[in-house]
Amino acid sequence: MRAAARVLARAVTREPGRAARLAAWSVAEVAPSFVIGLALAGAIDDGFGAGEPMVGLVWVGVLGLSWVVAAVGARQALMALAGIVEPFRERLAAGVVRDALAGGRVEAAAVTRSNLQVEVARDAFATVLGVLRSFVFTLVSVALGLAALMPEVLVLVLAPFALGLGLFLLSLPALARRQRAFLVADERTTEWVTVAMGALRDVTACGAEERTGELVGRRIDEQAAAAGTLARVTAVRTFALGLGGWAPVLLVLAFAPGLGASPGMVVGIVAAVLQSLTPALNGLVEGLGVSGVRLMVTLERLMGDRPAAGPDRLTPPDVRVELSGATFRYGPHADPVVSDLDLTVPEGEHLAVVGPSGIGKSTLAALITGLVQPGEGTVTVGGVAAERVDPAARVLIPQEAYVFRGTLWDNLTYLSVASESRVDGAVAEVGADGLVQRLGGYQAEIHAAELTPGERQLVALVRAYLSPARLTILDESTCHLDPAAEARAEEAFARRGGTLIVIAHRLTSAMRAQRILVLDGAEAVSGTHADLLRTSRLYADLAGQWDPDLEQVS
Amino acid sequence: MRTADQLVAGAIRRGGPAVGVLAVTSVAGGVLALALPYALGRAADARSGGWLAGCVAVVGLLVVCDTFGVWAGGASGARASAWVRHRVLRHVLGVGPGLTRSVPEGDLVTRLGMNAEEVGRAPDAAITGATMLIPAVGSLVALLLIDPWLALTLVAGLTLIMLVLRAFLRVSTALAGDYQEAQADIASRLVDAVAGARTIAAAGTAAQETRRVLSALPRVRAHALELWRVRAQAGVRAAVVVPLLEVCVLGVGGYRLAAGDLTAGELYASARYVVLGAGLGSALGYVSQVARARAAARRLVRLLDECPAPHGVRRLPDGPGVLVFHDVMARGLHIPDLTIPGGSAVAVVGRSGSGKSRLACLAGRLADPARGQVLLDDVPLNRLSRTALREAIGYAFERPCLVGDTVADAIGPSAEQAAQAAGADAFIRRLPSGYATPLADAPMSGGERQRVGLARAFAHGDRLLVLDDATSSLDTITEHQVGAALAADRRTRLIVTHRAAMAARADLVVWLERGRVRGYDRHDRLWRNPDYRAVFQGEAS
Repeated sequence: MRAAARVLARAVTREPGRAARLAAWSVAEVAPSFVIGLALAGAIDDGFGAGEPMVGLVWVGVLGLSWVVAAVGARQALMALAGIVEPFRERLAAGVVRDALAGGRVEAAAVTRSNLQVEVARDAFATVLGVLRSFVFTLVSVALGLAALMPEVLVLVLAPFALGLGLFLLSLPALARRQRAFLVADERTTEWVTVAMGALRDVTACGAEERTGELVGRRIDEQAAAAGTLARVTAVRTFALGLGGWAPVLLVLAFAPGLGASPGMVVGIVAAVLQSLTPALNGLVEGLGVSGVRLMVTLERLMGDRPAAGPDRLTPPDVRVELSGATFRYGPHADPVVSDLDLTVPEGEHLAVVGPSGIGKSTLAALITGLVQPGEGTVTVGGVAAERVDPAARVLIPQEAYVFRGTLWDNLTYLSVASESRVDGAVAEVGADGLVQRLGGYQAEIHAAELTPGERQLVALVRAYLSPARLTILDESTCHLDPAAEARAEEAFARRGGTLIVIAHRLTSAMRAQRILVLDGAEAVSGTHADLLRTSRLYADLAGQWDPDLEQVS
Repeated sequence: MRTADQLVAGAIRRGGPAVGVLAVTSVAGGVLALALPYALGRAADARSGGWLAGCVAVVGLLVVCDTFGVWAGGASGARASAWVRHRVLRHVLGVGPGLTRSVPEGDLVTRLGMNAEEVGRAPDAAITGATMLIPAVGSLVALLLIDPWLALTLVAGLTLIMLVLRAFLRVSTALAGDYQEAQADIASRLVDAVAGARTIAAAGTAAQETRRVLSALPRVRAHALELWRVRAQAGVRAAVVVPLLEVCVLGVGGYRLAAGDLTAGELYASARYVVLGAGLGSALGYVSQVARARAAARRLVRLLDECPAPHGVRRLPDGPGVLVFHDVMARGLHIPDLTIPGGSAVAVVGRSGSGKSRLACLAGRLADPARGQVLLDDVPLNRLSRTALREAIGYAFERPCLVGDTVADAIGPSAEQAAQAAGADAFIRRLPSGYATPLADAPMSGGERQRVGLARAFAHGDRLLVLDDATSSLDTITEHQVGAALAADRRTRLIVTHRAAMAARADLVVWLERGRVRGYDRHDRLWRNPDYRAVFQGEAS
């Protein structure tokens, strides 16, 4: 809560000019709160009531004018508010983008959710800032107006008002808790309904209608219970609000005449309370109680687990890869994905890694590139801890090749500065010349959706080939190419020099390597194809059932 | 015949006692709100305590009514929407996947979420809207009684407000479209980039990517500020109308006061009635909420009108699991006669669009054929009870959707054994809490998800397994392991595949072409036919 408050304060102080304008126009916006009491008292007591209708009209005219000033003030204040809220929204949006790109395992649905939350946070922030500002200015303005009209009534108005406000502020934490519980329950229900509606076929196929109805129904009941509780707390809030809003009116009616107030003054004071003070309090209660909580919750979500900035990057003297006792697991109660692994890959070696999917091959690639860190043991590249190695020293091409909207040229030279002849060379080496031709040259605008998975992989391979990195890790990055194209690309990398680590999708790809590492979950053995046929049962099994004729089409 | 209004009425009834409380407090609150300005005016005029005591009573009751009204509105809405949701959810689950042909998934979620909420608000909207008419219309009457000219001024002003609001709504939706478009540009760039998150993280290019994704920000800001401007403009007009009306009333009323026809208190009351009368706009807002609730109810009733497929009452006699297609005609598929021997593994192959998935659908009655029958051990599937049907047949899909609290829950009974057979045990044990990992915390690759889906199928059908391309994302080694487990299985297996290795391991192969069975024989015999071999070559990418 405090962190969120800090974020808001920073959002305002970051735009001092706009904050000042907001304050200035707010003064204009609350002009009627100051004028209304004086104007009504003047119009009735000195004008209409005293047989001077022209004086009365002037006072009423002053009131009308103050409303026009207020309307203009409100407009300008809203624009100043927008000037504070929009940069805030942009910073949140940028944060979402940064987190999504730094986070690694993010799904598209999560991105969409975050974008929606940014919009919710923006609207809530605008509301909270708007009502807080309006409340403070109105309160001051009404107090000044009443002091000018009849200082004696100030205590009649402000004491019960403060009491009501205090009651509300006391109830705010409980209200915030309920509101948050409701928001969470609401989201959970939506999540479960989404899962269930997406799985209708599977639910029917498993005969799981009752079970699913029960699972989702439980969320529906929890949501309804949270809404019921929220309604109870909101009712209590309404009571506090009534107390703070109405008690001043009754006290003024009862005691102001005794203090010497004329009927006009009584009307003026009551009008100031009911038309300015009470709506401002209403707005504050509604704004803090609902939008405020919504803002807190969404801000916590958006800024929840932002990764800390990493240490400085170092350029290693060479790219010798060394894993020593490296162990990685996803949770304290989980079996390790990579367990006590020792591995040395000298610079210039061509190593293939084989094993069933899910056995930890991609995790090994992530460990070597420093995307994840081992729980125990060490992973170093050229003697430098993997997570501190300068990204330019190594390149990882994952299975899902990344192609962004832009020209083919920009996509190919994403990791390098290269001349056209060098790019031509790389394209020819890797075997992407057909693709470049089909797309119509380097300046063609491309989009991930218009390329086949295999074509995307070719783009990524050329990009890696061009990069200055001396350590290349291909993580099943040729799986969508046909075996011939895969062979051509891998041979190109083998000729390119530097270390090549291939997480193999097909056995043919492993057989091209100088050394093969077999991961079978229990242990890791490495050797040449001939060695492994003798030493690894899994590998022998694989090679035994492997039939080039069938693999052609797998 | 269910109608939308019946659903709304049902929702109001299911709101419980809170609905009664809401009705009473709303009516009482409306009357009290109408009485208040007059009482306040009188109390301001009079120096005696009578009117003051009246004010205290009115205010006290009003606060109590508001308090109970707020509770009742929230509580009745919560109960009513929960009732609607339960009812529609159970019905939709009963109707099953056929429903998504007419209503897409996302729309179903909207109906169960937002639309159910809107129907749930019906009690609150109907009652509050109706009772808000009391102070709104009442103030007009009160003004008429005080001075007809004041009432006339008010009516003219109200018309003006309505016009302002309408103009605002029209403009703002058009502009909101531009804003959303600019935002969608950022979102789509981000979705692209997230697909390459590993590349970006490994290359350390996050900052550069962030700039690229956010390049549309200035455009978003321009549209956003335009929206603010429109809102501010309309706000100005709306904000001056009521106060200016009030000022007019005060001016006209002032002359009446000077003439001695009005007291100061009555003048004040008139001004308050202007504000209350302007509340008619909000009352109309509730009318539109009721209209929304009815529209939402219509959308829900359309779901409730879909009939679930009827099931029979028969149980399955003992048998080997012989599956027979007899004179089956369905969309894009015609099978005069086909018998899958009990306990055998039969692959189904064919180019995409040849009817493989339809055949798989019919084999376990995920859909019914337009004509003909599918029989399991001589019992037509539509004669079986739902329990008997689902206990006998297990399904695995190319893209399984998992439902459950945890991974084990999603698989079903004896999860670990099934997971071992599907080659999923090792990776499940590596999840943060193993089998007890909540599904939401278990990010899975396509291949991993497929294996959990396979495990679920193994855990479910005890006589027939239908695998619809359910091993397509597995690597060679894992597929080999799963293939071995499948080969050792004694249930009848119908395996839709586009891999030759899978077909080679099966006892028999059904070769489909354009919705008909082109061949039904062993893989090695069919392999001699170049057309058959072409089926597999076409799939290599």
